Amino acid sequence: MSTSSSTLAPTTNSVELEQPRSGTWDGGNEPFKASYGKLMMWFFLLSDAFTFAAFLTTYGMIRHRNPVYVGDVKDFEFSTAYWPIPEKVFNAFPGFHGVDLPLAFVALMTMILIFSSVTMVLAVEAGHRMDKNDVQKWLLWTILFGATFLSSQAWEWSHFIGGHEEGTLMSDGTMFHGANLAMNQYGPVLFGDLFFFITGFHGTHVFSGVCLLVWAFIATTNGTFEKRGHYEMVEKIGLYWHFVDLVWVFVFTFFYLV
Amino acid sequence: MAHHVEVQHNEIREIPKPNTGWIWKTFWVLVGITAVEFVIAFTMPSSTLRNSIYIVLTIFKAFFIVAEFMHLKHETKGLIWSILIPVALLIWLLVALVTEGSYAGELLQHTFSS
Repeated sequence: MSTSSSTLAPTTNSVELEQPRSGTWDGGNEPFKASYGKLMMWFFLLSDAFTFAAFLTTYGMIRHRNPVYVGDVKDFEFSTAYWPIPEKVFNAFPGFHGVDLPLAFVALMTMILIFSSVTMVLAVEAGHRMDKNDVQKWLLWTILFGATFLSSQAWEWSHFIGGHEEGTLMSDGTMFHGANLAMNQYGPVLFGDLFFFITGFHGTHVFSGVCLLVWAFIATTNGTFEKRGHYEMVEKIGLYWHFVDLVWVFVFTFFYLV
Repeated sequence: MAHHVEVQHNEIREIPKPNTGWIWKTFWVLVGITAVEFVIAFTMPSSTLRNSIYIVLTIFKAFFIVAEFMHLKHETKGLIWSILIPVALLIWLLVALVTEGSYAGELLQHTFSS
């Protein structure tokens, strides 16, 4: 009798089990004091940084493998014999046909992206204050700037593909305008290819970012984050968005300036 | 019912005033650096020095975006290092392959010119 009752009776040990366990291996830990989602976003971005670094390193390697244009910048002409000077390739602006405006359009694109980064931080900041209206407002601005950047890139691409009017005399004696993956009027074949791959891969990232932002805007409007009690999702998308801006800073320097 | 009450409670709650001074400060720093890059692009002839200035300015910009906008400056030391160390290794990759490219280019030119 006494044995059975002692087995059924709660032991002191089981009382302890009722309390939440908070040891190292009991779960609920946050390494680096960052939430699971944020930490994983950071490491995803690290892996993405490797991909972009591989692209830009390839650009550096190929560029150094090709001869440099020697001579006066004024007399520069497109040729497959040497690497082109970026400001001679990217000198067009929508609505200013035939006017030489070196790097003006890419400057505008850079400003749009920096501005979208600012509106994104403002959305994250509003999220910390649980200010639904402000989050909506700043997310909308970010979506607007992101979409503007994508349209600008579409114009840039179509101009690059369509080409300058004068064209370039190719080695087989024909005039070639614009660019495709096999040949281009600006310089060595790989110049065109790297342009398409690097700016294209970046543009794809911007596009994914805009999709995520649209989704976050809908979720904010529906009050999903308000009910959840925090706007961490906006923060995580913000990390991604700033990374895209960060990559553009590097693309801008290495592709357009150097 | 309980849910309804909670929603009402949320609407009464006061929303703190935004604190955006640091965001705009970072913005002007980024705009300033970009402006300097453009001034250099049109006033300085292309040279190794010019490219070095560009790279330094780019790293400045990257620092402000990552530290302030991505908030990395305010994370724990462990997180900061686990991001920075792998990225720092990329510098080696870049230097190694650019050197390799220059060498291959020189080799090709000498092969065909002689």
